[in-house]
Amino acid sequence: MAETKAVKEEHSSCIDSLARNPLYVGLAIGILAALVQVLLISAGGPEAYGFCVACHTRDVVNDGVNAVAGTKLALAAISQNAILPMMTVVGVLIGAFASARYYTEFKTKTGSTKSYVWYLLGGLLFMIFALFMGGCPYRMGLRIGYGDVVALIGLVAIVAGVFVGIKIATAIAEREG
Amino acid sequence: MAAAGWLSKDAAIIAVPIVTLLFGLLIGWLGQRSGFCSVGGFRDFFLFRHTRLLYGYLALIGGAFIGYLVFWLITPSAFENFFWLMGKGLMPVPGAPANLTVVAYIVLAVISGIAVGFIGVLLGGCPLRQVVMTSEGNIKSLCFVIGMCIGGVVFAAWVSGWGVTLLKGLGIA
Repeated sequence: MAETKAVKEEHSSCIDSLARNPLYVGLAIGILAALVQVLLISAGGPEAYGFCVACHTRDVVNDGVNAVAGTKLALAAISQNAILPMMTVVGVLIGAFASARYYTEFKTKTGSTKSYVWYLLGGLLFMIFALFMGGCPYRMGLRIGYGDVVALIGLVAIVAGVFVGIKIATAIAEREG
Repeated sequence: MAAAGWLSKDAAIIAVPIVTLLFGLLIGWLGQRSGFCSVGGFRDFFLFRHTRLLYGYLALIGGAFIGYLVFWLITPSAFENFFWLMGKGLMPVPGAPANLTVVAYIVLAVISGIAVGFIGVLLGGCPLRQVVMTSEGNIKSLCFVIGMCIGGVVFAAWVSGWGVTLLKGLGIA
């Protein structure tokens, strides 16, 4: 135990304090998403596609389903043209797992069966709506930076949705409270 | 003319999975350390007036603009339509179902945005946060991510077409 603590303290260093600040993380994601576009855009569009959790997940899954089942499910041109689709979300899964292990923050958290069903349904619906909008909140951010007004409208709607969600959740909590 | 970046087309089609995997690894590490979350940023601001996560998301928009601007100055051919509003007006960047009218895209953005924010805040985070929490061992988040994977297939196979048909039926597509 003492050893892991020492490891932890050693790495609460300069780089880690930067990595723990969402401000720098956001800046890094935005700038690097532009770098991804300047590097890879020759493989195909769309633009402002450097980072999107919804779309890139869709690309990986649909490409896999197409390969296995011989279907023609739609995915972004860049993922269609490349030897493998955009692997960003796979990277996030591995990177976050490695980080959680390294900093001894990995902990299995379970829930009720009912909560699993809600999260499964929630993820399914979230994905469908995100794809109708053309991306998750992160791609909305990239598209706003790229000069897309509809993405800005989408973001305002997301904020409205968050606001309504909070109001309903607090109302329910108070009634049961 | 097709957009041209730093890598040729032949090199880029091989580099796509490698570059994006490395980018993802970095985001995964940063996301795990910082608890980065877009929906969480707005939630914390409304509930507690905490601005830590909110500034992170706003920095992402600012960082994206700076990045696009700088790289556009260096290599304009990789950003054919930057700054989008100047050349393309109100039409959105492709990604949502193709070949609809501006009005239809705005309707989709409003309805979907509200739903995305609503679902995100009730289930404790935006998709990035859910993926990161999955890697931290949260089984509920794992269910969310599995739901997202199914949702991608369901959308492409059926729902996308239904949505477009509905919009056309209503006369706004």
